[in-house]
Amino acid sequence: MKKNSGIIDRLLFFTLVPSFFIALYLVFIWSPVEKFMGAPQKIFYFHVGCAWVAFMAFVIVGYYSVRTLINPNMDHHIKAGISAEIGVIFTTITLVTGMIWGKSSWNTWWTWEPRLATTLILWFIYVAYLFVRKMDGSWEKIAKLSAVFGIIGVINVPIVFMAIRWWNTKLHPVVFGDGKNQQGGGIEPDMLVALLFSIFTITVLYAFLMRKGVEIEKMRHIVKKAKTKAMEKLAG
Amino acid sequence: MNSIFKDAWTIASKDLSNEFKTKQTIGMMLIFSSLVILIFSFAFDPTNNMVKAVIPGLVWLITVFSGILGLNRSFLSEHENDALTGLRSAPIDPSSIYLGKVLANFLLVTSVQIISIPVLFILFDYRFIGKIGWFILVVLIGTLGFIIVGTFLAALAANAKNSEMLLPVLLLPLLSPLMIAAVQATRIILENGTITNAVSWLRLMSAYDLLFLAACFFLFEFIMEGS
Amino acid sequence: MTYLFMAYSVIWTLIAGYVVVLGRRQKELKKELQLLEEWNSEK
Repeated sequence: MKKNSGIIDRLLFFTLVPSFFIALYLVFIWSPVEKFMGAPQKIFYFHVGCAWVAFMAFVIVGYYSVRTLINPNMDHHIKAGISAEIGVIFTTITLVTGMIWGKSSWNTWWTWEPRLATTLILWFIYVAYLFVRKMDGSWEKIAKLSAVFGIIGVINVPIVFMAIRWWNTKLHPVVFGDGKNQQGGGIEPDMLVALLFSIFTITVLYAFLMRKGVEIEKMRHIVKKAKTKAMEKLAG
Repeated sequence: MNSIFKDAWTIASKDLSNEFKTKQTIGMMLIFSSLVILIFSFAFDPTNNMVKAVIPGLVWLITVFSGILGLNRSFLSEHENDALTGLRSAPIDPSSIYLGKVLANFLLVTSVQIISIPVLFILFDYRFIGKIGWFILVVLIGTLGFIIVGTFLAALAANAKNSEMLLPVLLLPLLSPLMIAAVQATRIILENGTITNAVSWLRLMSAYDLLFLAACFFLFEFIMEGS
Repeated sequence: MTYLFMAYSVIWTLIAGYVVVLGRRQKELKKELQLLEEWNSEK
């Protein structure tokens, strides 16, 4: 078992490094420069990749939350937590790059575009989830509480998206087209290749970070056990 | 199924009669919402035209802010003398505890609203021109959704040491779709807009209420189980 | 162009920051674990 997981780790690492450089090459050199937006359009590739991973990470939190409730298990609990942690990182990246992009193409740092606003609320839910996990008490209790909150949070995300989109279209006509990537009528095939590849790269990065994080959290529990053992020895 | 509602009513009436005797929470909530109105009337000059734009938002701000005070108390008060253990070991379905608490909190918050919303209108010198029946309907459905999610998260947060701080952090992001819908519906009604637009928001709010009522109803026993 | 630069520097710093945090966690835990294991096997 242990050997097997090492192979997966190495495999992930060795796909990650070359695909990372290929993605950079595709994004910066190979793909054409967009006519209207110019160079800042190249933010788009990694922005979309990070957004995709952020939402995926949240779905994974929900999945492991459900499994924790059905079968309370340290493994599921740890996986949900690490996924949320990585999710916060990628949601932050999505938000900041989205803002920078908005500044470059619409000349405003923030618009209440449904996707951007949903991502912001997603970020808050993630952080709240991590706060729940920071509570003190036995891990069984925290696992239960945080799993319940994770499920409620996952239910909430699509409703937030719907509500914000409704709110926008009712208040003022749609200004920016239906979405970012539909500007200028469709996406060029070269750009699509670069986009898909960068999404793939970031997903691999997520998987790699996830495995590392889970490993570290498991180690923390081993340390805890060793500590109690040492304490018992001290006591008698 | 019938016994769940009966037990829920028992718990709600216990909470309400407790509250009726001391009048602590409800008094605090009333004073607090008046203070929020006062502060906001300093922040937005009530004499100019801004009033019309901020009133729908303010109705919900005072509801949420004063409601959070009440929600914090609703489970923390059970920690005194370890009453929660008593509730948990009572021969009742844990879901009925949840329903009872929702009912009690809902009545508490609406009775605060009956006073605080007219006070808001008076202090901001707002002339009410919309349809009052629709306005009440929107307020009730919005408040119900707020209480459904709020009671559930209050029970969750009560496990932490810093539950007063934790509750708003957990609650507000989850409330955001409800608040968007509630504020928009209130605005349409207060500005005497077309009712059909408000109805579509109302539908979103009712869907939110039902969905979270079902989810919280089933998940509540997991919160009550351990600890 | 500056925007492009800004965006990518944000992406790399955040990812690198997270990797560094993970690495530090692992290092600390490893050290602690080693110490404890030595201690446990000593007596």
